[in-house]
Amino acid sequence: MTTRGRPSPIAWLLAPAALLFVLFFVLPFGVMAAMSVFSGNPVNNPNAFLTTRHYERFVFDTAGIYHDALWATLRIGLITTIISLLIGYPLAHWMARMQSRLGHALVLMAVIAPMLTGIVVRTFAWMTILQDKGVINTLLIQWGLTDKPLPLMYNEFGTIVALVHIYVPFMVLTLTGVIGRIDERLEQAARSLGAGRLRAFVEVTLPLSLPGILAGSLLVFALSISAYVTPSLMGGTDVLTLPMLIAQQVGTSFNPNFAGALGVILLLVSLAIVIAYNRILARLSGEQGLA
Amino acid sequence: MTSAAIRLEQVTKTFDGRVVAVDAITLDIAAGEFFSLLGPSGCGKTTSLRMIAGFEHPDSGRVYVGGRDITDVPVHRRDMGMVFQSYALFPHRTVVENVAFGLRMREVPRADIERRVAAALAQVALTGLEDRKPSQLSGGQQQRVALARALVVEPPVLLCDEPLGALDRKLRQQMQFELKELQKRLGVTLVFVTHDQEEALAMSDRIAVMNKGRVEQVGSPAEIYEQPRTRFVADFIGEINILDEAGTARALRPEKIRLVTPDGARVAGRVETANYLGGSTLLRVRASDGSSMLVRETHAGERASRTPGDLVGLTWSDQDTVALEG
Repeated sequence: MTTRGRPSPIAWLLAPAALLFVLFFVLPFGVMAAMSVFSGNPVNNPNAFLTTRHYERFVFDTAGIYHDALWATLRIGLITTIISLLIGYPLAHWMARMQSRLGHALVLMAVIAPMLTGIVVRTFAWMTILQDKGVINTLLIQWGLTDKPLPLMYNEFGTIVALVHIYVPFMVLTLTGVIGRIDERLEQAARSLGAGRLRAFVEVTLPLSLPGILAGSLLVFALSISAYVTPSLMGGTDVLTLPMLIAQQVGTSFNPNFAGALGVILLLVSLAIVIAYNRILARLSGEQGLA
Repeated sequence: MTSAAIRLEQVTKTFDGRVVAVDAITLDIAAGEFFSLLGPSGCGKTTSLRMIAGFEHPDSGRVYVGGRDITDVPVHRRDMGMVFQSYALFPHRTVVENVAFGLRMREVPRADIERRVAAALAQVALTGLEDRKPSQLSGGQQQRVALARALVVEPPVLLCDEPLGALDRKLRQQMQFELKELQKRLGVTLVFVTHDQEEALAMSDRIAVMNKGRVEQVGSPAEIYEQPRTRFVADFIGEINILDEAGTARALRPEKIRLVTPDGARVAGRVETANYLGGSTLLRVRASDGSSMLVRETHAGERASRTPGDLVGLTWSDQDTVALEG
């Protein structure tokens, strides 16, 4: 143990990370939060004054779209997280318990491979599959299973499908690490004490992997509520998420102050959800959560 | 507590289709017996235990417990207690919850669970630690929780996979006494896997010495030590001299050799090294023909007198040597 007041010399190696964090998170967030309480840009506009009108605009929502955008964002994030967990957990469990090293390497490659192609490429790939004249609809119509194409994209469904595909690897990698560290003999002990395979899993492995479920879910949730490219391409005009709204405010409405307010609101709401989620899981596992 | 006899009949287990872990072994373990599977790592002792427990399914052969063929019975219906090498206590559960687990799986009424868990904890002298987590216990205490957890369901068979391996020597010896006493008191059939020959000799009613997936010899500790059947058994258990007499190998324990004057002795040589072991000294004597022998000089009365370089004579009687196969 190092003594108090005398940090380890290795502490200096944290400097680049700390600098990055300050330069690219604390500072921009500070600027964004400051902008959200001004009427204009105080740097080049001497008439800019302090105001809460951007927040009022969101709260009173006279146009009737901001609340919907927030709900849509959270809904998409939540559903994406749950589906990623349902797909990712069995896969991660299988990988973590795999005896063969070669098999493990191959599955790991398969999981990581999608991450090596860009988000845009993967989203366009989904478009060719899901659109009205896409692979699925063409086949369904050809086989006479349906006369008009199913609405597979330009809606929330398509957005979630593409988001799940993109973020499942994050869930799998996080969970594999945690499940791999759970001693297999714990489950065997439970079985020798009279628990069937499923019961042993529910009583032992599942609660012990809660920290992984927590970390993986938070990661996927955070990534999907801040996703911009995929909802824009897959959602069409049907889907409007907060990040899309923010881009609109900056890019076409030239209102960075309102965009800043939306950014702060998104952060606060997701922070509240994260804390609540952490509390619930911590209570379930009877142990301290991560945060 | 009831106990049950175990029979392995021509049991074979192969891994990856190539490595033969257990090669057609047949073993009969009596009800209420303390039976050890002893051998070096990779000899198949743990695989044999895991086949009794049900974690491995034999490629061929049958496993019987209490006369019933359980080869195809799943683990959780076999009703056996098992103590794992690393104890495998549930880290997210308290001591009480760990011990209660097996009773809960059997849907024992809550009041009975409380009573039986308290009794089991008292049995292994853990009363007062009920609400601790395993990480807050010492190695010896964890060991006892594992034992209580396995025994609280009153299984007719208790399987132990090197349960004392992680303890230091002093504690291990204490646990050896406790485990043996507990086993006799409960009358449970206990199958004990170990690579530690001293441990096996000290605790077992009978021992099966295993090597390369086969059983080399089964017998009481005294039989195994005094009448080793094969060269492997003789060599694996304690120190041994292998003599070549007219083409047959004969085993001779170092303590059966007497030190005499070099003239007229069977073998004369010089003491090469002398390892003082407290109760005795183990000498390595290099004979004039270049071969070396181990001699144990016990210290009854006077202290050891031989030091490296001394010229000594060795003698023994023929009835102390044992003919070995293979």
